[in-house]
Amino acid sequence: MESLIRAWRLAHGEENGKLLASTISLTNTDLEEFAYSTNSARVAEDIFRALEYENNSTRPKITNKTGLEAWAEVYVAFWKVAQALERYDEVEWGQVFAGMKDMTQYVRFTAVIRGFQNSGWEVWQLEILYTACKYLRYVAIRADEAKRAAGEDTWKQLEEAARVINRAFNVCLNDRAELAQSRKWGTYYIINILFKTYFKLNAITLSKNILKALVANTTEMPDLLSFRTSDVVTFKYYCGVIAFLDEDYFKAEEHLEMAYRLCHKDAQKNKELILTYLIPTKLLTRRQLPSAALLEPYPSLEAVFLPFTKCIKGGDLRGYDENLAKGEDWFVKKRIFLTLERGRDITLRNLFRKVYLSAGDSKTRIPVDHFRAAVSWKSGVDVETEEVECFLANMMYKGYIKGYISRERGMVVLSGTNAFPDTGV
Amino acid sequence: MTTPPWRAAGGTAVQRPGFHPVSVRKTLGKANGNIYTVRTPHRHHPYNSPAYSKSLNSRPQTAQPPTPAARRTQFPDALKAYVARTFEDCPAESKAEVEIALKKIITEAFENESVWSIDWATYPLPASARRGSVDSDKMDISSGDEASPISHAPTNKFHKIAKGANNSNSNSNNNNNKRKLGSRIASEKTEVSRPDKRSKKQNASDYSYEGPDAFKRLDRKYKRHQTTKNVFNQYNAMQSALDSPAFAPIVGRSTKLEKRYLRLTSAPDPDTVRPLHVLEKTLELLKTKWKAENNYSYICDQFKSLRQDLTVQHIKNEFTINVYEIHARIALEKGDLGEYNQCQSQLANLYADKISGGHPHEFKAYRILYLLHTCNRSDMNDILASLTPAEKQDRAVLHALAVRGATAAGNFHRFFRLYLDAPNMGGYLMDSFIDRERLASLSAICKSYRPDVPFRHVTEELGFENDAECEAFLVKYNAGDFIKTKQVTKGEGENKQTTDKIILETQRALPTFEAAKAAAFKKVDIKGQI
Repeated sequence: MESLIRAWRLAHGEENGKLLASTISLTNTDLEEFAYSTNSARVAEDIFRALEYENNSTRPKITNKTGLEAWAEVYVAFWKVAQALERYDEVEWGQVFAGMKDMTQYVRFTAVIRGFQNSGWEVWQLEILYTACKYLRYVAIRADEAKRAAGEDTWKQLEEAARVINRAFNVCLNDRAELAQSRKWGTYYIINILFKTYFKLNAITLSKNILKALVANTTEMPDLLSFRTSDVVTFKYYCGVIAFLDEDYFKAEEHLEMAYRLCHKDAQKNKELILTYLIPTKLLTRRQLPSAALLEPYPSLEAVFLPFTKCIKGGDLRGYDENLAKGEDWFVKKRIFLTLERGRDITLRNLFRKVYLSAGDSKTRIPVDHFRAAVSWKSGVDVETEEVECFLANMMYKGYIKGYISRERGMVVLSGTNAFPDTGV
Repeated sequence: MTTPPWRAAGGTAVQRPGFHPVSVRKTLGKANGNIYTVRTPHRHHPYNSPAYSKSLNSRPQTAQPPTPAARRTQFPDALKAYVARTFEDCPAESKAEVEIALKKIITEAFENESVWSIDWATYPLPASARRGSVDSDKMDISSGDEASPISHAPTNKFHKIAKGANNSNSNSNNNNNKRKLGSRIASEKTEVSRPDKRSKKQNASDYSYEGPDAFKRLDRKYKRHQTTKNVFNQYNAMQSALDSPAFAPIVGRSTKLEKRYLRLTSAPDPDTVRPLHVLEKTLELLKTKWKAENNYSYICDQFKSLRQDLTVQHIKNEFTINVYEIHARIALEKGDLGEYNQCQSQLANLYADKISGGHPHEFKAYRILYLLHTCNRSDMNDILASLTPAEKQDRAVLHALAVRGATAAGNFHRFFRLYLDAPNMGGYLMDSFIDRERLASLSAICKSYRPDVPFRHVTEELGFENDAECEAFLVKYNAGDFIKTKQVTKGEGENKQTTDKIILETQRALPTFEAAKAAAFKKVDIKGQI
C-alpha cells in the first residue's frame, strides 16, 4: 500500500498524470501486495491515514479533508477491485466490476469537487479518469463474458459501464473552466471509449447522440486538431464508420481519409481497420480500387480485397460472387457486406464495356443478345434477355452507361462519345 | 490458479493449526466484531469467505424495500451476499442439501415478509452449509482451541502495531488470513529482499507504466476464455427459490371465452383473467370466427386481450408461440404491419428462449422482408450475421435472401419473379413495398428505353397479374396519359400489315415516376420497430 500511495503523492508533486493513473491500473505490479496489505475492516482507515501521511510528508498538495476523503474513496474502491482480483482462487468478475464501477465514479468525483486542491483539477490529472474508464470497460466485458459462459444472454454490465463512462464524458464536455485547466481536453479520449463500448453493444444510435452533444458544444471546444493525435485518429475512425453505416459515404470518406492520413505510420493494426472501411467507401464514391501496393503491407486485407479487385477489373461476375460468398461471414461481421455487394455493378459495367470495345471502334449499335451472351458466359448462368435489359436499364439509370435500349429492335444504342463515362471510352 | 492448500485438504479448519493465529485475529480486532458475530459458526472459517468479511464490516444495512409490486420478485442485495456466502464454503457433496435448506429459509422469509427486514449479513447460515459438520454445537467446542488465548495474545499485540499507522511493518504484519499458505511462506522468504523493492518503488519513474498491450497481459494473467467452474451459481439457487409456489404469477379465474382488450393500468385482477385451458378454447373459437366472419377489428382486439392474459400469467410455451404466430399471420394478411411487428418482436424473444414449436424459419424470412420494407440496413446486416446454416437452407429464408439480393442489385426482373413466387405469407409482406419497387423500376425503364416500351413488357416485368392491373397502377400515379396506341407496320409490299400496339411513352413519363419514387422511399412506417 505504501508504494502505491507514495506514487500518488509523487504524481501530485511532479504533476505526472501517467504515474497517477498507474496507481489504479490493473496491470500495476503492486496489485497483489496492495490487495493483501489491509482487510475490509480496516481498509478505509488504513488508506485514509496513508494518504494523510503522504500528503503531509511534503508541502501538502491537498489542503482540505474533503479532498483527501475523495481520494480515499477512490483507493478504497480500488482495494476492493484488487482484492477481488487477487485474493480468490477464481476471479468473480461481477464483483470486480462492482468495485471498478464505484472507483470510476469516485475518480469522477475527485474531478468534480472543485477547490479542494491548491489549484483545482488540472489537465494532467485526466489520465486517471482515462485509466478508470478504460479498465471499467475491460472489466465489464469480462464480467459479462462470465455470465454469458453460464448461459445468460446479457451485456448488462457493459451497458452499466457505458452509463458511467457517459457521465465521465459529460464531466469533460461541460467543464467551463478556462481552457488551460479544462477537463474539456479529456472529451475525445472518453468519447472514443464510449464509441468502442457502444459498438460492442451494437447501440450505434447512442454514438450519434454523443456526436450531437459534441456539435452543440463546438463553440467552446478547442479545435479538434489541437487534441492528441491518437485521440483524433480514433475519433475520426469512428465518425467515419458511423457515417459509413448511415450510408453517408462521402462523409465517411472524408473522416476515414483524415484518420488514415493522421494515423501513425507504424500503427499497422489501426491503418488496417481504417482501410477496411475506406476501401469499400472509395469503391462506391469514386469507383476506385485499391492498388496492390496499398494492400501489400496488410496480408489479411490483401487476401480479401485483391481477388475482388481482379474480378471487378476483369468483369468476372462469377469470381466476384464467389469471393463475396467466401468472405461473407467476415464482411457481415465488419458490416461491409451490403456495401461491397454494390461493387457488382461496377463489375457488370466493366463487362459491358468490354463488349462495347470488342464490337469495334465506332459501333454504337450493339444487339442486346451480345450483352446477354457476355453475362451468361461470365456469370456461368444462362440469363434471360429481359434480365440483361434490366441490368442495362439500371446502368443507364445510374449513369454508368450513356445510351438507350430499343426494345423493338432488340438493340442497345450507345452514345457516340463517352459511352462509358470516366473509363476513357 | 491452483487450489489453495486448505481447499485441497478438504478437512476442517481444526486440522490446520497453522492458521489459528491469523484467522481469528481479524474478527476480534474490530470493534464491531460483537459477541453475536463471534459466536456464529462462520468464525471457524473466516479465511474462506470474502462475502463474510465484507458483511461483518458493513454496517448492518436494512435495505430500502422496493415498491410492493417488486417485493415478490426482488432480492435484497444482502440476501444475495448471504446466498453467495452459503455456497462459498459448502462442500460439493452437500450442495443439494444446502440448496433445499436455503430455499426453505428464503421462502419463509418471503412469506413472513421479513425478507427486507432480516439482517442477512449476520443471519446464521443453514446448518448443512457449515463445512464438514452437521452438528454446530459440537463444532463450537472443537474449535475452541482455535480461538485459544494463545492466539489472542499476538492478535492484540499486532493490532496495536497496526494502529500506529504508517508503520512500514504493518504491511507484512497484516492478517493475511485469506492468503495462500504457499505464498505466505514465499513472502517470508523474500522479506529480506523486500526493502530493496520498496526503495526502488520510491523512485517514481520506476513505478510501473503500462505498455500498449495492457489488456492482453490482463487476459493472460486472469486467464481469459476459461469456463467458469462456478457451476453452483448463487443465482441458480435463487431462481429455484423463486419457482416455489409463494412467488407464482397470478392464475386467472375467468371462464369467459371472449374479452375486449383494455390496456392495463393496474395489477391484473384474476377474476377477469382467463387461465390457460380457457385461452386454448378461446383460440379455437377465434380461428373459427375468423374463417367465418373475417372481421379484422374484432379479431385483432380479441387477440390482443388473449396475448395480454398470457403475459400477465407468465405463460410462455408452445401455445403462446402459436397465438403470436396466428395473430402475426392475420395481421400480415390485413396489411397491419404495426400489429404484425409487435407479434414479431415477441416471437423473436420466444424463439430465443428455445421454447419448442412454432415456425422460427418462416418468421425469420418475414423479418428479412420486413427490414427490406423499412430499409433498415444496419438491422439487416445484423440479421445476416445471425443466420445459422440451417436457416440458410430453409426455402422461405432463401427466398427472402434472394429478394434482398435482387433489391440491392436493382434487379427488378428477378425481384418481381420472386414476388410472384413467395412462400407462406411472404407475398403479403412484399405487398407493403411492391409499389415502391415498381416505381423505382419504372424510373429505370423510362430512363433507358427509347422511344417507348411495349405496355405488355411493363406488365410482365413488374409482376402485374394483367394489363388492367398495370393500367390501374399507372393511373394511380398519374401516368395514365403516357399510355398510347401506336401503329406498327410490319412486312413489305402486299404483306404489309399495320397493327395497333399499346406502348408507354418513356421519355415523357420519366419525371412523373422519378417524383413518385422519391416520395415513396421517403417515409417508411416505423411503428413498433424492434
